[in-house]
Amino acid sequence: MDPFSLISILLFGIFAGCLGAMLGLGGGVLMIIFFILVLNLPAHQAVALSLLAVIASSSMGGSVYLKDKITNVKLAMVLETCTVTGAVAGAILALILPSLFTEIVLGIVIFFAAFMMFKSPRSEKIVPPEAGSRLVLGGFYDALTKCDVLYTPVRMRLGLFASLLAGSISGIAGIGGGVVMVPIMNLVMKVPIKAAAGTSNFMVGVTAAASAFIYLTGGFVDPYAAVPTVLGIMLGAYAGTRIMVRVESITIKRLLGVVLILFGIILFFKAGGLLSW
Amino acid sequence: MVSVETILSWVLRAGVLSSAALMTVGFLSEIPLIWAGIVVLALTPLLRVVIAGLTFLSKGEWIFFVIALYVISVLVIGIFL
Repeated sequence: MDPFSLISILLFGIFAGCLGAMLGLGGGVLMIIFFILVLNLPAHQAVALSLLAVIASSSMGGSVYLKDKITNVKLAMVLETCTVTGAVAGAILALILPSLFTEIVLGIVIFFAAFMMFKSPRSEKIVPPEAGSRLVLGGFYDALTKCDVLYTPVRMRLGLFASLLAGSISGIAGIGGGVVMVPIMNLVMKVPIKAAAGTSNFMVGVTAAASAFIYLTGGFVDPYAAVPTVLGIMLGAYAGTRIMVRVESITIKRLLGVVLILFGIILFFKAGGLLSW
Repeated sequence: MVSVETILSWVLRAGVLSSAALMTVGFLSEIPLIWAGIVVLALTPLLRVVIAGLTFLSKGEWIFFVIALYVISVLVIGIFL
């Protein structure tokens, strides 16, 4: 791989890691788009590198969110039972399916993520701790509003089922599943968006790891491309966590929604053979 | 007593930073070090689940210990499939 490509991976990794950590997505989707559309890597190779990116983003971002108590560890562990199960099944399926199918699935995931970002309400209805399950109660200090936010997730069964689907999608598409998990936690389970992003960010690493070993043993990782990917994502994720606690996520989410729609259209065109490079 | 969040924060940070160090040195010298960094990175979430399980066990929170065991089992199955 030439020096220009390596530097471009590093720089885009910083951008993707920052947005990924801020929104709890891990940055995997953005990295896949970059690898396929800009560097023209085969889909399976792009997916393998993006899984490493998600693990790096999740580990770096997760370490900061845990320290800030934004991550709900117990909720994450309960939902992980479903996401990892789905991820392993999905990753096996993805290796059997052709690249074309993976690109179409990616396109669908990207459109779904964009739709959910636009659908996010500006104000949040938080369920107080006494109204739901005590097993996974959560609370954190919001640095923007300067107050403690106490909440309890609701609709746990629906959340678990959705987590299973999110895990399967992440296994097939090679992403951490954050694009599905953040909207589910926030819109369905009524977890505040910052806690949802922090918890999702924590979870996506495990989901990605479940799929990553399958891609690693399959020989899809380019080690020289992996270095700038991991370093860039790591730096960006740290910056993203510092920004997230100080800003409202709604504006950034909608901006990312626009970018994802554009990338999704391009990806469908490429899968359909209307674009090639 | 140190909280589970603090312990897991240390684990994740140690994993990702040591992986980054190995990969950077490997990029400048030998390719096996890059692979070592990649393996350390991929194992970090697994280690995080193990440590979480042990921490919950030490606190007597059996439900979360069992959950951690299940997640580890699925991850191990994923590795060997």
